[in-house]
Amino acid sequence: MAFQPSKSKKNLFQEKGTLNMNSMMDMMTIILLFLLKSYSTEGALVTPSEQLRLPQSVQGEKPKKELSVSVASELILVNDVVVATVDDIEEDILMIEPLRRKLGEYAQQEIELQNTVGKEFTHVVNIQGDEKIPFEVLFKVMFTCSKSDFYKMRLLTIKTGA
Amino acid sequence: MAYKPSMRRKSDDVDMELDIRPVMNLMVVLIPLLIASAEWVRLGSIEINVPPSKAGAGDSGDEADNEEVEKEKKLGLSIAITDLGITIASPGAVLTSEENQDGPTIPILNDGKQDYDALKEKLIEIKKAIAGKGYKDENRAVITAAGDIEYQVIVKVMDYLQTYENDEKTEILPLFPEVNFSKII
Repeated sequence: MAFQPSKSKKNLFQEKGTLNMNSMMDMMTIILLFLLKSYSTEGALVTPSEQLRLPQSVQGEKPKKELSVSVASELILVNDVVVATVDDIEEDILMIEPLRRKLGEYAQQEIELQNTVGKEFTHVVNIQGDEKIPFEVLFKVMFTCSKSDFYKMRLLTIKTGA
Repeated sequence: MAYKPSMRRKSDDVDMELDIRPVMNLMVVLIPLLIASAEWVRLGSIEINVPPSKAGAGDSGDEADNEEVEKEKKLGLSIAITDLGITIASPGAVLTSEENQDGPTIPILNDGKQDYDALKEKLIEIKKAIAGKGYKDENRAVITAAGDIEYQVIVKVMDYLQTYENDEKTEILPLFPEVNFSKII
């Protein structure tokens, strides 16, 4: 008959294992550094929404943060503040009056900044248009921008690979 | 009576391991945060430069400039988009399609989409014909469209206006990358 295993010696040589975290730490550090590197401090340029889907394009450079004029399917916004609705646009007049007033304020501010602090007035405006807006609205917005001292326009698009 | 020697002197060095749990906690929080705030959509921006509007257009100083401008050779290529198709024109002539003399240069395809590839072929033909002939605006095209044409279509046309490959497919040359807009009133 076999001996009964000793109860006291059973746990005698059990090693205390520890989880080796070094490699995991390495990995995490690399991921963290990578993400920090690619993190942009400028904040998001566009707020995606149902009403503002940017058109797709293969061209275009990396956009910078500038004054933004957004043309959603129903609203026109300047720096995310609603200034007009698309219904406000008058049929036969190229100028969109509420937009011109708002842009005029911004231009005035920029000119003041240029005079007092020396910050250069770039005349750049980012236009974010919904892919479905008609050319007429787009053209009127661009016309208004160019008449309001913001004549360097950038059309924001989503870059596709092909 | 002397003090009893301190027991601490003999105490062994405790073999200490760095406690990395707080660091791990930090990373577990930071990584999802950064991933969530990363921009996954790549944005592009297309540059359009309109000359600054001048208040007094009829100045006497401008007239001298205008005369000078007129002496330069200008192509004045314009591309008109309607829901029937795309028409290529210059101040002198309108390019007609082979089938229909009155219709647009490039009629829309049967599925209702614009025929971008045909547009590009035609433009490359034009570009090759005028390249090196000293036109001042050989890189410029004016886009005009009917009022109800969608923005996406216009951006797409602009995409096709950018570059072309030469016959040997060795070089990528600019087609008509400088785009202006105008409107038929």
